[in-house]
Amino acid sequence: MRSLAWNPGRQTVHADVAAPDEVLLEPVFWSLFSVGGFITAFLLPVTLFLLFFAAPFHLWPGDPAAYATFLAHWKEPLVRLFFFVLIGGSLFHGTHRLKFMLMDAGFKGPAAEALLDLILNGVAIFGSLGALYYALRGWLF
Amino acid sequence: MTVHEYPARRRRGWWLRNPRYLAFQLREAGGVVCALYGLILLNMLIQLRDGESAYAAFLNLLRTPPVLYLNVVLFVLVLWHALTWFMLIGKAQPIQFTRQPLPWKVVFGINVLLWIGVSGAVVYLIFGGM
Repeated sequence: MRSLAWNPGRQTVHADVAAPDEVLLEPVFWSLFSVGGFITAFLLPVTLFLLFFAAPFHLWPGDPAAYATFLAHWKEPLVRLFFFVLIGGSLFHGTHRLKFMLMDAGFKGPAAEALLDLILNGVAIFGSLGALYYALRGWLF
Repeated sequence: MTVHEYPARRRRGWWLRNPRYLAFQLREAGGVVCALYGLILLNMLIQLRDGESAYAAFLNLLRTPPVLYLNVVLFVLVLWHALTWFMLIGKAQPIQFTRQPLPWKVVFGINVLLWIGVSGAVVYLIFGGM
């Protein structure tokens, strides 16, 4: 019998209830979400500022996003690694947040969550692979 | 024995009723915007591969006034997401280097200084300086 009194840590253990499902992938995606949070917080604002706002608002000498300028930097492996990490991190971070925002908004249930996982994790995985392809293209092949 | 579940129910628009809830929801939205920027940056790499005219057209689209102003709003959400992350590190995961846990404002200050340092490094290492 379960005690009615609030008695944390001393609830009766039931041996006959179904065991919770094994969690396999969630820790992987949660880790990528968490690492992505660090990456986006530290690296995304400065990158967006330089690429999209510095030149249009005349806040910077020159245009860091101009074709010739950006292409010259793009030849460096460190720059390619930077954009691969930044794109992958932001995709895994944002899609995970979107999943839980949609669940909070009422998109619940095993089927709905499976669909969200399929679409959102798919976007994160294929987007990261796409970034990896462009980071390696013209450098390794 | 049947176990009843009573799911917590919130009223519609609960997050508009309190500035703290609104700040929280804006922070969550900022997280989603990060993924949007991930796709925009990926598209930038695709346009870069396609040559100068494709790349310039993409950049000009982002810099025409309506898109530019929308972009500013999204950028502010990303900034808010980053700042609130630095604010919550010291509250959610107080790593104890000292006998007493550091106040969150100290952890926030350290992270902001680190953020400025990292941003400066990105300016010089990735974008070739000013």
